[in-house]
Amino acid sequence: MISLTRRLFLAGLALAVVAPSFAADLPKVIRLGSPLVGTGNRPVGAGNSFANAQIKGLLEQEFQKDGIKIEWNNFRGAGPALNEAVANGLLDVFWEGDLPAIIGKSGGLKTKLLLANGRSSNLYLAVPPDSPVKSLDDLKGKKVAVFKGTAVQLAAGKVYAKHGLSERDFKSINMDTATGNAALTTKDVDAVWSSSNILSLEDRGVARVVYSTRKDPQAQSLNMQGYVFTTEEFEKKYPEVVQRIVNVLVKEAAWASDDKNRNALFQLWAKSGTPFSAFKRDAEGISQKEVQSPLLDEYFVALVRNSVTEAQKLKLLRGNLDVQGWFEPKYLNNALKSQGLDNYWKPLDAKGNAKL
Amino acid sequence: MTISTPRALVTALALAGIAPAVLAASNEELEQQVKALQQAVAELQTQLKAQKPVPTATAKTAKPPVATAAVNPPTEPAPVGVPEEYATRDDINGLQADLENFKYQVQRDRDTKTALSNRALNVSGVIQTKFTTSDQGTNASGAAGQGNAVNNRHSTFDFGAVQVAFTGNLYKDYDEGRNLDYTLRFGTSPQQGTNNSFLNLLDASLTYNFLPTISADTSRAGLTLGQQLLPYAQEVQATEDLKPTINNAQYTLPGNMDLARRQVGLILRGDVSPTVDYGYNYRAPLFSYAFGAVNGNGPNKPDDNSAKDWIGRIAFTPPSDYNSWLRQLTLGASIYKGTQNLFVGAANNLVGTGRKDRYGLDLAYNHHPIGITYEYNVGRDATASGTVQNYSIGERRSVAHTATLFYNIGEQFVKGYRAQGRFDDWWPKSYQPFYRFDRYDPNVNVTRDRSDIHTLGLNVFFAETTKFQLNWNHTIDQLNNRTTNDLLAQFQFGF
Repeated sequence: MISLTRRLFLAGLALAVVAPSFAADLPKVIRLGSPLVGTGNRPVGAGNSFANAQIKGLLEQEFQKDGIKIEWNNFRGAGPALNEAVANGLLDVFWEGDLPAIIGKSGGLKTKLLLANGRSSNLYLAVPPDSPVKSLDDLKGKKVAVFKGTAVQLAAGKVYAKHGLSERDFKSINMDTATGNAALTTKDVDAVWSSSNILSLEDRGVARVVYSTRKDPQAQSLNMQGYVFTTEEFEKKYPEVVQRIVNVLVKEAAWASDDKNRNALFQLWAKSGTPFSAFKRDAEGISQKEVQSPLLDEYFVALVRNSVTEAQKLKLLRGNLDVQGWFEPKYLNNALKSQGLDNYWKPLDAKGNAKL
Repeated sequence: MTISTPRALVTALALAGIAPAVLAASNEELEQQVKALQQAVAELQTQLKAQKPVPTATAKTAKPPVATAAVNPPTEPAPVGVPEEYATRDDINGLQADLENFKYQVQRDRDTKTALSNRALNVSGVIQTKFTTSDQGTNASGAAGQGNAVNNRHSTFDFGAVQVAFTGNLYKDYDEGRNLDYTLRFGTSPQQGTNNSFLNLLDASLTYNFLPTISADTSRAGLTLGQQLLPYAQEVQATEDLKPTINNAQYTLPGNMDLARRQVGLILRGDVSPTVDYGYNYRAPLFSYAFGAVNGNGPNKPDDNSAKDWIGRIAFTPPSDYNSWLRQLTLGASIYKGTQNLFVGAANNLVGTGRKDRYGLDLAYNHHPIGITYEYNVGRDATASGTVQNYSIGERRSVAHTATLFYNIGEQFVKGYRAQGRFDDWWPKSYQPFYRFDRYDPNVNVTRDRSDIHTLGLNVFFAETTKFQLNWNHTIDQLNNRTTNDLLAQFQFGF
């Protein structure tokens, strides 16, 4: 008969051998990154289901039973600061806008694109309310603030190109969102490129929107896109965790896509400090089901390719980028299937037409 | 005269209430009452119209979805928005009262609780509180009659440095960022070489940025006039990301190559051909430079001779993206051509002037999480010996090597990571173990006068402006033929 001491020793040995394999299946902490901060640098974003998940604590709920800590990192320096964190191995899963994501990937960041997350965000150009500026042409040679390295810069570049202009036609100044808005208010700049948060300034009478992609027939190709990524290392090490994260985000995207939740959605985003009315105006006549679609369909791939090409044309990107190899759709497909959402969002072909 | 809705309603109800009694009234009275009723109803209708919400822009301007919406139309145009609400007089009064309270509070605080200045002002400070213990006792005889002798001291509490700084701009160029800035800094610091506890004037300078500073893409250049640190090599001007130690390298100290003391003069600093990787908000100029002339005899005094000391530095950073292994690799070269007064005899009799030259090469590779720095410096100082009537000029050649290796555990030096939006007073806790080798040979022609300091240390960053430092210094002092071990523990905190 084996003595109790020996049995305990063997059991301990067995645990020691097995434990590392368990530990490898579940991380102690999941480090999440978002380039979105709200008014006053509060860690609250808006516009996509990734931001919703943070506000609602959905991932905390999902991993609570496993004792996995969820660590949110909201970067005041937006996409460029987030890229810096990824380059230094400090994030596992993150949301990012098109330009910084493309720059990061082409610069060697080992990332996998898991799902679309905010396929079309409007871009606005605002001037002080008493400015004589009425169009882009009127701003030639003047000071225009843009948050360089972010999706706003790429979208602005596309708009310039569409109007036969380039960033060089303006005195382009790099300012983050809060600084740019403040500079517009004090008239230190002649105009600022921004997202929907600028509408709250217009409501307060300190800004006037002179251009918006919202009213542009080519809005989809000009607008900003957002994606959710994981690092290749994290995906390889914790595929089940990645799957669970994608499940949560897809479920939340379905909720956000439902028009009956439209008011609740905008109220949720208003926690960022941008008022409800701004989101409401920004989304007028736009289906959230389209915007929140997580699908990696042909149309989305075409949009990403278009962003890469435009970034290259605008010399914002060095080198090339294999877009197709960047996607990892299996987690999205599993999530859609397991939640019975296979046919909820309709896939589009490369031209944006419904696939038959 | 307008009739309010409640009044009109009351009237209408009153009229309705008296209706049965009307039966007994005459036709004429009835007609009058009917007219009154009609008038009341008309007034009510007018008021209702006035209160009816104006159709919103949403309803009027709702347009079909954008281009692709035709392909994948929205399921149902949603009843967007909450019902329109109107502010009542009471609401506005409340808001007005809040605004007035706020204005009063701001004015009151400005009058009684706010520091004011004529121009933009930033006040900051650094304090280092330190404990040192050594296996070598310190003894000093002290000045006669002052009772300040030191008796075999093995440990002490003291301050490393205490500084208060005032910085800001005197002119802000909103168009180009060609700002005129000022710096005023007071402090007690070991580098002052004094043992008093009074605040000395450290920096007092004016800087004009004559190239635009609003864009990271362009070269920078600024001219600084006044008392300032020398732009020489690494150690003198190193920030904490490149200098993990508590003590400065030996070569910088007064009596050695004496480069850490502030100097009064005019220095041009700038850079050219910056590489900007906006994808990471990373800026690295291909070349950075500094050239200038200073008195050369230290802070807070006029020059002690007519010759000016000249300083020049150039540093090269290979152009690279942030995600390249070349990131933050910098090679630099520095030169300081100076003149110093020469003295002979115990009475320090002045006999003339001689050279005071310094040459340095340096390398820094600060690539998170690792960092390596190395610098090699040579000093050439004229020396005088003999008597005033019969003296000879010689030269002392000194050499210094300083190398540092550190490793960062934590995100203290990942710039973008530190700047996060958080609800609490969050800061990434970081640990930085390091090793430094610091050699100074005051005269290469004299054997066994070298001093080597090996430092093992740990920096703990636990709040935005606060860190704990622990250094163990193992000093091999050939001149005094002794080996010393010191343990230094210091909190550095700033505001």
